[in-house]
Amino acid sequence: MSARWLRPAVRLGAALVLPFVVPGLITGLIWALPGDPASIICPPELCSGTEALAERWNLDKGPWHFFSSWVSGALTGDFGNSWRLQQGIPVAELLEESIPTTAALVSLGLLLLILGATGAATRWLPAKLDPVLQAVGLVPAVVMAMSAAAALTIGYGVEQYSDQANLLRLGLGALALGLADAALSGTVTGVRGLMESERRQRYVQMAILRGEGTLSNALPNTLPALAGQMRARTLHLLSGAAVVEVVLQINGLGDLLWGGTLAQDFGVVLAASFGFAVLSAALLLLQALVEIGTELHVRRSPGGVVA
Amino acid sequence: MQIALAGALATVVSTGATLAFYEESLPTSMNPLYAQSMVDNRVHELVLDRLYYHSPITNELTSNVTNQWELAEGGKAVRLTLKKGIRWHDGKGFGAKDVCFTVQAMLDEGTTSPIAQKQRAVFAGCEVEKDLVALVRFTKIFHNPRERLGFQVLPEHIFEGNTAIPPDHPFNTRPVGSGPMKGSMGRRGVAFEQVDNAHHEADIDKMILQEAQDPLVQVRTLQNNGVQGIIAVPPPYRPEVAASDELALKSYDLRSWWFVAVNPNKAYLADKRVRQALNQLINRNELRQLSIGVKPDEQNPPCEFISGPFVQSSPYYNRAVEVSPNSDKDAAFALLAQAGLKQVGGRWQYKGQPISLRIGIKAPLEIEAPDLLSQIGNQLSAGGFDRQEFKISVDEWNTKVLTGQSDDFDLLVGKWSFGLVEDVNPLFHSRSGDKGNLNIFNYNEKAVDSLLSQFNTARTDTQAQDAYHALHELLASELPYLFLWKLDTKSAWRTEVRSNTITPYYYWTVFDAWKFEP
Repeated sequence: MSARWLRPAVRLGAALVLPFVVPGLITGLIWALPGDPASIICPPELCSGTEALAERWNLDKGPWHFFSSWVSGALTGDFGNSWRLQQGIPVAELLEESIPTTAALVSLGLLLLILGATGAATRWLPAKLDPVLQAVGLVPAVVMAMSAAAALTIGYGVEQYSDQANLLRLGLGALALGLADAALSGTVTGVRGLMESERRQRYVQMAILRGEGTLSNALPNTLPALAGQMRARTLHLLSGAAVVEVVLQINGLGDLLWGGTLAQDFGVVLAASFGFAVLSAALLLLQALVEIGTELHVRRSPGGVVA
Repeated sequence: MQIALAGALATVVSTGATLAFYEESLPTSMNPLYAQSMVDNRVHELVLDRLYYHSPITNELTSNVTNQWELAEGGKAVRLTLKKGIRWHDGKGFGAKDVCFTVQAMLDEGTTSPIAQKQRAVFAGCEVEKDLVALVRFTKIFHNPRERLGFQVLPEHIFEGNTAIPPDHPFNTRPVGSGPMKGSMGRRGVAFEQVDNAHHEADIDKMILQEAQDPLVQVRTLQNNGVQGIIAVPPPYRPEVAASDELALKSYDLRSWWFVAVNPNKAYLADKRVRQALNQLINRNELRQLSIGVKPDEQNPPCEFISGPFVQSSPYYNRAVEVSPNSDKDAAFALLAQAGLKQVGGRWQYKGQPISLRIGIKAPLEIEAPDLLSQIGNQLSAGGFDRQEFKISVDEWNTKVLTGQSDDFDLLVGKWSFGLVEDVNPLFHSRSGDKGNLNIFNYNEKAVDSLLSQFNTARTDTQAQDAYHALHELLASELPYLFLWKLDTKSAWRTEVRSNTITPYYYWTVFDAWKFEP
């Protein structure tokens, strides 16, 4: 395989295995931690059913038995019931609620970054705004999220989980994700730097002299780099989403993962990490497709050329 | 479009405002067999019925679901006749089969619950004699058999007769009860809806339980009428709430007492004179003032000192045993010297080795009594002991401390709460079999075991009281615990909430009488 196809091929392969490797690693991690949920609910010194409970939850024969049982259930969409976080509720139901919420949160945050990137690439966003964005970016996402959470609670009171408040919560979370921790400022300065550097290339200067557009010439060459930048930004948003969801009490994957970890609800932890891995895999797939598409576009023969 | 309109219309014509309140946390389970916290116990009181409870007004043992009772089988069983017409929230009839199902579920080894395990020492079985008559059998004759029937009744039909109830049953989040409110737990709170019944007719239509936020945010939200109540107001915010005309601060007796458990397995703590000396070094007045904010001369303080393992209002409390509100360093030093400890450079040593006390506290207690751990450490340090302080998570407390596996600690600060049955046997009996299963440091004293057995075999209330009075006196001398105080929690409710009598421990027992007039 030629080198130019290797990278997207690796990304495609990673996208396929990630949803299973991540839960496998998480299984190893949680097995290394002291205590287990069966002993927490039914401490052996106070309760005689610890072993029966461990057997019910596949905790009695080591991490591989637990993980393989989990995988065989997950392949049919059965993630079991929550043990401690929401006792008795199917984990699949919790995932169904959480995945779209996290996807919406990250997408809204990403939208902000895309708008910033577009503004920087087209020079619509003036460079003198960069210090302002950088100053805003100094604020950590957790601080922004905490301020928003306090305002929502005091403002809405008992209605803080109504549909309207939840929409506002999502919006504020996306703002926190997009603005804080230099997410937007980093995107703007990164894209601006890349595009300005490409603009100075000779072939672009020649294209401008021929009366062609700058972006239509520079973009195909910068697209792989831009795709890589945006994927990195998206992963940054995805990891930040976990913090923002917990602080702002958004019913997403990050909040589910956090709650499941605190409660030692292994089924929920694995399912939530599986959800994150699926989202990451989707991003990897998207990036691979962009790279493949760009390669095909760059290497096609232009029409209307007479040999 | 039509569905949206119908939804909006439904909102307009729905009856009753919603009463919202903050709880310390979300419940871990809505199944009383898997209760792990006081939040769980309070929520269960709204959704399910206990066979018997103490009236918060008269303290009499009473029942919402039984008409009459009688002793049977020589006192080893109780025959209960249930009231007619009681229904579960899904409309099915409530009867003797449900009572017996609940007993059988507790006896089933497949119900992997410490609460069920404890009840297996109490109940021997149950028989359905008629639709509304159940015969509950005990393992032995109790002097207070109805007090053993303070458990919530579960619906047999939901579990389809399967008495092995696991902790991940859907009932644990979406229960079907017979109480005044139907409850359903989500990720952010619990929603309650009033259900009319033959034995309940609550005045409040809907309630929402939400997890408490930052204390300042809680109080501001209450003041803004964003919520109408806070179950447990942190002590620093009580003066602000008390000063408001729109809010009322109400005492909530948790029937709980605080203690410092002492590890008698450590060589320097094995001698009771050392434990007595530590008791003399503790200044309870100062601790109370600095950590809870109660002044020594305050009238009707929410925090009442105790000298033994009962609250002062308990019939088992021995009033002849006095409390020690202040410290006495001279007496403490004399006791330590008698026990063979030596002071070198102002620090106590045992057999030439300096003593450094490892002191732990159950982490949530620091919210109720901020800095208590540090204050205790400071007092012991002033008395010549080095110390290290630790906060212990709830899970670690339940799995290590309560099971007697925390021998690396010297002192542990904790709190016990007692609902209906004030049985301290599991706390102080030496560990063997199913006895002493909450004995933190595996304390072992034959005289104590003997008194506990006397209580167990008591046939009358007087015999039981005599046994526990003697126990109180003995423990005040032996000091496996340094007994601190009983601390009432304070709830805050807006004045629109009326007739809100708060039952000790269970809180919502007489919820039918509560009114909300926004």
